[in-house]
Amino acid sequence: MSTLVEELACERVRPETDHRILVCGGIPCRSLGCRLVKEALEEELQKEGLTGRVPVEIIGCIGDCSLGPSLIVYPEGLVYQKLAPEDARAIVREHLVAGRIVEALLHRDPRSDEILRQREEMPFYREQARLVLRNCGVISAHIDDYLKYRGYAALALALAEMNPEQVIEEVKKSGLRGRGGGGFPTGRKWELVRTAHSDEKFVICNADEGDPGAFMDRNILEGDPHSVIEGIIIAAYAVGAARGYIYVRAEYPMAVHRCREAIAQARQKNFLGDNILETGFSFDLEIRTGAGAFVCGEETALISSLQGTRGDPKPKPPFPAQKGLWGKPTLINNVETVVNIPLIILHGSKRFAELGPEGNRGTKVFALAGKVNHTGLVEVPLGTTLRKIIFDIGGGIPNNKKFKAAQTGGPSGGCLGVESLDLPMDYDSLREAGSIIGSGGLIVMDEESCMVDLARFYLDFNQDESCGKCTPCRIGSKRMLELLQKITEGRGEEQDLEILEQLALLMKNGSLCALGRTAPNPLLSTLRLFRDEYLAHIKERRCPAGVCRSLVRPWINPELCKACGLCARVCPAEAINGEKGVPYEIDLEKCCDCLRCLKECPFNAISQGGISRAEAVD
Amino acid sequence: MQTVTLTINQQEVSGHPEMTILELARESGIIIPTLCHHASLNPIGACRICLVENEVNGALLASCVTPIASGMIINTESSRVLEHRKMILKLMLASHPDSCLVCDKGNRCQLRQMAAELGIGSSELDRIPQTAVTEEVNPFLIRDMSKCILCARCIRACQELVIEGALDYYGRGFKAKPATLFKSPLENSECTFCGTCVALCPTGALMEKEEFYRGTIGTVVESTCPYCGCGCSISLEVKENRVARVKPAAEDTGPGTLCVKGSYGCDFIHSPDRLTRPLVKENGSFKEVSWDEALAVTADAFSRIKDKHGSDSLAVFGSANCTNEENYLLQRFARGVLGTNNIDNGSSLYYAAARQAFYDSVGFPGITYTLNDLTGTDLILVVGAEPAASAPLINYEIKRAVKLHGAKLILIDPRKTKLTLFADCWLRPEVDTDLMLLNSLAKVIIDENLVDREFIARKTENYQELLDSLATFSLETAAEVTGVSLEQIRLAAGLYATAGKAAIIFGTGIMQQLQGTENVKALLNLALLTGNIWRKGGGLRALLRECNAQGACDMGMLPDFLPGYYPVEDLPARKKFETHWQANLPSKPGLNALEMMQMAGEGKIKGLLITGENPVAGFPGSALVEEALASLDFLVVQDLFLTETARLAQVVLPAASFAEKEGTFTNLEGRVQKIRKAIEPLAESRPDWKIILQLAAAMNQPLPFNSLEQVQKELEELVPLYKYDWEEKSPKEEDYWETMAEHRLPLKRFPRFSPVEYLPPLKAPDTQYPFILLAESALFHSGSGSRSSKSGRLSRFSASYFLQMNKIDADMMKLQPGDRVKIVSPVGELPAVVEHSESLPRGLVSLPRSRSDYPVALLFSSPPETSASSSALQRCYVRIERSCSDEPEK
Repeated sequence: MSTLVEELACERVRPETDHRILVCGGIPCRSLGCRLVKEALEEELQKEGLTGRVPVEIIGCIGDCSLGPSLIVYPEGLVYQKLAPEDARAIVREHLVAGRIVEALLHRDPRSDEILRQREEMPFYREQARLVLRNCGVISAHIDDYLKYRGYAALALALAEMNPEQVIEEVKKSGLRGRGGGGFPTGRKWELVRTAHSDEKFVICNADEGDPGAFMDRNILEGDPHSVIEGIIIAAYAVGAARGYIYVRAEYPMAVHRCREAIAQARQKNFLGDNILETGFSFDLEIRTGAGAFVCGEETALISSLQGTRGDPKPKPPFPAQKGLWGKPTLINNVETVVNIPLIILHGSKRFAELGPEGNRGTKVFALAGKVNHTGLVEVPLGTTLRKIIFDIGGGIPNNKKFKAAQTGGPSGGCLGVESLDLPMDYDSLREAGSIIGSGGLIVMDEESCMVDLARFYLDFNQDESCGKCTPCRIGSKRMLELLQKITEGRGEEQDLEILEQLALLMKNGSLCALGRTAPNPLLSTLRLFRDEYLAHIKERRCPAGVCRSLVRPWINPELCKACGLCARVCPAEAINGEKGVPYEIDLEKCCDCLRCLKECPFNAISQGGISRAEAVD
Repeated sequence: MQTVTLTINQQEVSGHPEMTILELARESGIIIPTLCHHASLNPIGACRICLVENEVNGALLASCVTPIASGMIINTESSRVLEHRKMILKLMLASHPDSCLVCDKGNRCQLRQMAAELGIGSSELDRIPQTAVTEEVNPFLIRDMSKCILCARCIRACQELVIEGALDYYGRGFKAKPATLFKSPLENSECTFCGTCVALCPTGALMEKEEFYRGTIGTVVESTCPYCGCGCSISLEVKENRVARVKPAAEDTGPGTLCVKGSYGCDFIHSPDRLTRPLVKENGSFKEVSWDEALAVTADAFSRIKDKHGSDSLAVFGSANCTNEENYLLQRFARGVLGTNNIDNGSSLYYAAARQAFYDSVGFPGITYTLNDLTGTDLILVVGAEPAASAPLINYEIKRAVKLHGAKLILIDPRKTKLTLFADCWLRPEVDTDLMLLNSLAKVIIDENLVDREFIARKTENYQELLDSLATFSLETAAEVTGVSLEQIRLAAGLYATAGKAAIIFGTGIMQQLQGTENVKALLNLALLTGNIWRKGGGLRALLRECNAQGACDMGMLPDFLPGYYPVEDLPARKKFETHWQANLPSKPGLNALEMMQMAGEGKIKGLLITGENPVAGFPGSALVEEALASLDFLVVQDLFLTETARLAQVVLPAASFAEKEGTFTNLEGRVQKIRKAIEPLAESRPDWKIILQLAAAMNQPLPFNSLEQVQKELEELVPLYKYDWEEKSPKEEDYWETMAEHRLPLKRFPRFSPVEYLPPLKAPDTQYPFILLAESALFHSGSGSRSSKSGRLSRFSASYFLQMNKIDADMMKLQPGDRVKIVSPVGELPAVVEHSESLPRGLVSLPRSRSDYPVALLFSSPPETSASSSALQRCYVRIERSCSDEPEK
């Protein structure tokens, strides 16, 4: 028996035979000018008289961001990569008109030097299990495309043949857990809302994806909005809600736009609105945009924001399932979570539960980034090892550097070191290892990454995004950031680590919401795994990774300097002064850290923060 | 009911499932320190000081927001808890200025208290300074946000208690602070300077601007606010015979809120303008004399006039600002000693209309309220009132009922009042057409069969007469006359009749009309039609301007009623009082206040005693009043200040303020509340009740009282209405008013429907005077302004006399905001400065009442004789002329 992944892949063989070009519209591809590529293609098509015969569409992200801008040509399913507008001519003339594949634009595996034509051949895709991303990069966001792939069939099935309790039972049996970070069993959450007594209930889809580096929700909303909508409608049917909202970041204009269109299309086909598919069930969905606060991803803050007030978190209990939007029981599910629902309904909880270990069923999408060859969204069964994700799918670390750590779960998450490479990536194992899956951020670091700086970066993010309501988070995060800054600037003292740990524990145990409670995680995990690195900053005034600017500035050792003046001559900032017989000095105010002096010095008198200035002067 | 059992500090305790850990712990006598928590505010779990440990799973929980759960093992002082608690406090202290030694909050600062309790001397952490500019432009409060610990009590007070919403969080993270919209200064925001946030602020971030004293307070005395009829409980903080500060008293019945007058307006007590010694006029100028001399002169004059011209040439004008005991003594003095029913009090000018209506409809004139709070009501109908200015506490209550408890709100007012934002339905009738509108509501309720048939059949009289009177009533005409659409009328009638418990609140806007009495009767009809009388959460409530307007009337400070509303003509009742007082009492109703002035002018009143009222500033046609008072043979005035009226007197007796005496006030709900002596009477001033007793003694007819308790005892005996525990602040029983109606009130019949007919205004608007001027209550002033204008802080705040007018009207007259104009009425004229108003419809202009230095009353003429009402009118016709002189006003 084939797996669910294979089954889906078979379903997704294009039924049509005509040419069609889908241009990747992911963020990197957009920044790299995919729109220009599209325009160039259209121009070329016009020249060849093919306008209208070969549709060109910008869709959601296809996947491997390191190949952008890229596109897929159907029906062959060929991936052309790293395109410039000039390449349009070749694609149209050669491929579309002459029927010759443009090999120069295909991806070449750096390891085997083999030309890889289709997505499925590339290791980046081959090792994935794209369930949630099943339609991304395969179809456009239009409902007609979605319907070709059994779109809304799960909804029809649920409405026609299942009662709400059966739907909930099926979701419970599937073992699906919330993908937004908390990992709460989805079916149980549904049941809580279902059984709460109220005349009115709501469903909210949390699309306030705020973790730096995570963009799976955006990708799904842009590439496959209908599966989100379908999942929400099924959820609403199960819990008994008549109204729903998608709370999406205003910073995702494309996602907002595609969702709006998709909702209008769904309404037109009566998947939304009164008496859906003539089953007597009514439900409508609206989009609400946030205003750029990370904390609004926290469900109580999200509800406050949705109600038109400041997005402040509230104490729980009461949980939203008891008292949520407008004080009514409210189901809040993340985008990735709801996209799993149609699959579970259509293929059954049993097939779904084949993926992933007990208690961690299904897949998880990771936003693979950092020091890794192939970056982008990676969907794997829960329980896949970190090694497999980084080395098999991600293609390893560039420039033969060594793997140092992986940061998972974004600002709320922690770091995993080399010893965790064979750790199965699932909710429980990661928690044990001191990190979390979170919303799926996965940043790979090599030996050139400074862990103190990393902790400082995330803390800076968290203290900036703290709402300020509770004391530990408001003042604690500020103080912790100040201490970390002090350390990265070479002014740290050993007792600072003690205070940092105390404050971290206070925030973790005493903060009001999850933002504050998880904000110290990056610090705590790096402090545990890389304490030496902290001590190097403090005791030796040295940044081993060479990242912390204050500790890596060039310095002329007066004992070694022979006052030859070479450094002053090459300095573009005219920051080095001296005269014959007297050791030269660098004016750090003017210095631009180009380090040309360091390379030029014939006596190795110039070094990069290895010895503290303070100590040397003493 | 279900209970939850758990362990707190090894002690097994149980409570109901809705309780928080903190509540249960406090109930069990376990103290958990808190900072952001406050009993009248919704808990938010912000400061985290109240963390406790659940030993079952080691979780640290904010006890103020965590509901109890069975099986919890809570430790409120484990070493882990203490460690966290101390760390939180250290963080707060690290970001708090080191200025405790010079901070005015001093020992009142809860942050400092807590640091002392937890034994934290210094923060141990490096400083994390917060920077903020101290805001102190307004005369009431200082905001120094560098001392803020973001407990958000001020924000919650503003949003949950007074529902102004002037404050909210601003910025986020470490930069988050409570602030107004766009961080504008308080004076430019919605802030009304009610002082609630200041009273709740635990640190020195929000401080009252103190005039007298900084530092630790000697004693705190609970009393009652001396301004409007709301009767808010206040705490007087006293040091060295000075009232240093006024704060809302902690109340168990509800959140402690005040308005700007209560919080900051009591500094009139220590005004340098207070009268210090009795004054007697000799050759046109006052001379300070001894009390004995002043009393002798007065007694002598009264005896002389009484002997020469008879008792009815004397009159007594009592005060709605004096206590019940004082009013009781004063009317007993007038009736028993002077022998006249020429008695009235200041509230008659607007309240008489309502009393008459109640007397006719319900059979009892004194009681217009049937509820003690609005929380449980389903709908509130506010007619002709701007409680935001005239009764701020009621304003808060209305807003809370609407915003927090889901009550509906209907407004009837030509002005766009501050409540309009909260209204489900706003009917905006043409000026003085309210009666037509109210009748049309009754008509719709009857036509659409929304009446409470059973109530009408069993508990009312005269229904058929009402039906007959409305039989030919045309809703179309009503819509045309009032300018309110039929749909709106139907909507409002439907809302009111089907709401369930529906309360009516009305103000001077409806009482001070030619048909004021009829207006109130029409409101009573609505309440009777829907069974909303004598019903908790229903009923009617008049907004009274003075702290003891209700009590003064209850005490018989009226020309036609003895204490407890026994008509003076009622022989058995009068006999009872005669026996008790051992005196013959006059049997015919006397003159009301306006008549007194008129008769004084005609020379028929020769001698007048005025306590705590200032008719020269407050009465319509003030020029005539001044003339009349000046022509009296003898005028004696008891007051705190040398008012415009006192200047005309032969004898002026310095009275003690509310803070210098004991007694009771009855608020507009009918709650009898104590005022307590906080300081000794200033200089030689004496409480009014002592003055009256001494005056009676000087006239050789001493009243048999040595103490206030004796007065209260007699009062309870003769006035069944006042026969209850003085300590009990509010009636608690569900059927309280039912019991009252049955047992305590002299009711002899069921409430009666009163057919009332709308009459078009007698005089068509004169083309010479195209505008209607309203004299409106001002939040920052009260009464005739004699006390509020002596409050340094209140009088500093708003200095100009703005004429509010609709922008279109102003544009048509080419008047810009700030332009100087002259307002001319048939009887007087006043200068003013134009200001555009969004709240007034075209044709209506308004001026603030209650400024002693700006006598709006002189524009108004005395009201024409009407059937029953002795009310003064709140409006008159005026024209506006551009001022020729560009002289700046002072």
